[in-house]
Amino acid sequence: MKKAEGVIILWSLLLFTPHAKGTSYSLPGKPTLTNCRSPEKETFTCWWEPGSDGGLPTTYRLFYRKENSDTVHECPDYRTGGKNSCFFNKNDTSIWVNYNITVVATNARGRTFSDPVDIDVVYIVKPNPPEKVTVNTTWDKSLPYLRVSWEPPHKADTRSGWITLIYELRIKMEGDDEWEEHPAGQQRVFNIYSLRSGGTYLVQVRCRPDHGFWSEWSDSACIEVPDYFHQEKSMWILILIFSVFILIILIWVIHMNSHTLKRFILPPVPGPKIKGFDKQLLKNGKSRDVFSSLVGSDFPPTTTNYEDLLVEYLEVYVPEEQELMPEESKVPHKSSYQSETSTSDCDSGRGSCDSHTLLVDKSEEDKTMGQQSTQQGGQTERDLKRPEESSEEKYLTYSHQLDQPDSPDCLFPPGPLSSHFSPPGHKPVLGSNYQEFSFGNTQPHALHHQTGTHQYLQDYSDINNANKEAPAGFRLASVRSTEYVEVQRVKNDNMVLLHPVSSDPEQGGPERRHTEDYSKVKGVNNDNGLLLLQRKGSDKEMDICSYEDQQMSEPVDSGYTASIAAALQKTPAYVHPATQILDERAAGGYVDTSIFPLPTY
Amino acid sequence: MTAHIRPVCAVWVGMVVLCSKLSCMKAASICSNAQAGCHFLSLANLFDRVIQHSARMHGISNDLHSEFELYFLPSKNQVGRVTRNCHTSNILTPNGKENAQRIAREELTEVILKLLLAWRGPLWHLHQSVAQNHDFNRFSSNKSLEMRDMVHELHKGVQKVVEKMQTLGIISTSVGSLASPEAFLTSESSEWRFMKDYDLLYCFRRDSNKIQNYLKILKCRIVPEHGC
Repeated sequence: MKKAEGVIILWSLLLFTPHAKGTSYSLPGKPTLTNCRSPEKETFTCWWEPGSDGGLPTTYRLFYRKENSDTVHECPDYRTGGKNSCFFNKNDTSIWVNYNITVVATNARGRTFSDPVDIDVVYIVKPNPPEKVTVNTTWDKSLPYLRVSWEPPHKADTRSGWITLIYELRIKMEGDDEWEEHPAGQQRVFNIYSLRSGGTYLVQVRCRPDHGFWSEWSDSACIEVPDYFHQEKSMWILILIFSVFILIILIWVIHMNSHTLKRFILPPVPGPKIKGFDKQLLKNGKSRDVFSSLVGSDFPPTTTNYEDLLVEYLEVYVPEEQELMPEESKVPHKSSYQSETSTSDCDSGRGSCDSHTLLVDKSEEDKTMGQQSTQQGGQTERDLKRPEESSEEKYLTYSHQLDQPDSPDCLFPPGPLSSHFSPPGHKPVLGSNYQEFSFGNTQPHALHHQTGTHQYLQDYSDINNANKEAPAGFRLASVRSTEYVEVQRVKNDNMVLLHPVSSDPEQGGPERRHTEDYSKVKGVNNDNGLLLLQRKGSDKEMDICSYEDQQMSEPVDSGYTASIAAALQKTPAYVHPATQILDERAAGGYVDTSIFPLPTY
Repeated sequence: MTAHIRPVCAVWVGMVVLCSKLSCMKAASICSNAQAGCHFLSLANLFDRVIQHSARMHGISNDLHSEFELYFLPSKNQVGRVTRNCHTSNILTPNGKENAQRIAREELTEVILKLLLAWRGPLWHLHQSVAQNHDFNRFSSNKSLEMRDMVHELHKGVQKVVEKMQTLGIISTSVGSLASPEAFLTSESSEWRFMKDYDLLYCFRRDSNKIQNYLKILKCRIVPEHGC
């Protein structure tokens, strides 16, 4: 008995020795069904995840129960699907039937049931990927495109309509990361356009049933697109280059004509323009400078011209002798005469009236710039109170006075009138070259000797008429004694009051002094020669001023002529056509020989 | 009450039959001679249309079922779930491909028609129930309504296909019971009334799938050249 108890104790010890080792045996962990899938809706496989085994060898078994049946069935196939799987073949698979599946883990300690899972095979279909995916390059009007074709997985029976598959493909270039996906519906062919020339493409296809899961992507089909030339693109490139070229030309043209365009589009606003006004000067210089430039050269008249216009006094020459003595006069010339601005007059009181120059038109004065105007007899300077009176005006007044018998005086505004030459019409009125206006001796104090003057004029004209057959030279037969008259004052506009000045030879007159040498023109020789009367100082008239006596003219004429002519020709600056000069000389009667290098006699 | 219902139902059935016959005859007379202006639909086209219709119906039922699961979340611990019995389970339907291919065309056609017929009433009630239930939003009730109408349309469409097949001589004229009283009566069985809406929806989802699949099989068996 005691032996049996000992054996029992031994046995129990043996039994419990594994526990005494320290390992705790427990029930197996709860397994979990991960998923069940059917590739063709005819069979399906379920996989589970085993839990802890609890230290003991654990067996797993799968049990299922069909809908509306209480019969529990065990998994028919544990191997086909791999480890921890259960494969249901066709015979065991019912569609549209609810399966209740449970996995049981069993070990020595006990068994553990997993959570049941209800599945309906219809909704767990995940087909295999499509097969035989092929890609071909096809040409459509010289443009290539890819034609992808595939086959449904061979297990899926689409032919009988049991399964309807929807396909999808994706494509990418070799080396890219992003795929381009295209749904393809139920068709098994797909075209891809817009390929890059010479690129390599990879294509994959997958499918799914109308109510199920997507399959895995098929193996990539690789294809290389051949090089092709996109004609349309090249045409556009050409058009682009052409238009760019035209654009460049346009821009260049616009740039070249930018100024004209600017003026065309935005015409410049005319600004005020004042002649002689300098903006820069206004900005920089003083106002005086600006306005001085504004003033210009014409206004106000310069002093030189101004002085020319001035007539200080009028000389009236009353000849006492028959012979006329060429008077010296201060003849204000134009340019050459401008140096003689002195107011003194050698010729005072002598024969200024007979000067033709006084009556010549002013226009001719401009032509004969630089010429010497000659005056017969003498020219008196007239001192006009009003210098603004134009020479023309004076001239006219003079002529006017001559016409009027009551005009008392002969006024010879010497300046501009000197270069004035009488129009031909006036010549006969004035008679010969120079005119002398001389008062009668009887009335030396008379200021207004109208009749006297008139008579003188008449006599003068008679004399002139009488002297017509005289040689070409100008000479007056009868010369009366000269008396000097001084302008006392100017009355009105056209009258000058004169008073005689004593004409003693001793006295001379301060006005008699002449700095210039004057020669009287005798005549015109041919076309380019002037006959001058050599000046010789007479007893009376010879003062500082020398003037020729016409009686002495003969022997010297020729010599003078040539020289003068030559001299005339030597000064082209002053000399205009010779004929004109000579005519004017003839009209004037006096030539200032100081200009020309005349040999002195 | 049943005594009154029976003659009324008979009259109503007769009227329905008469009307449908008339309409069918009308349709037959219009295009019987294949006149110009009459679109002659081939059997394949008809099948395609019907199949599309059934696919859409199934899609809607699937959506509605998902919505139901959100709202109701039937506990998975329910054991009684497995014992759920759809009222159409008495209709013998092939449960596999071989079975479906083995079955005769006429049987298959009849099965389809039976199924469609069996669901007309329940869906009408389901819609009522969903519309009245404030837990559901408007989209759910719209879907239930659409489902109800689609069953009707699909039934008519399948009937047209059957007629076409019969005229073509593909199937025998034995399949002609457009609305057999037995079928009507089976649908009248009150089993489904005791079912919950969720279970009804579950059953309908499955049955619509069956209908779609059977139609596809039928098409590929009869007109295989078009997309099978």
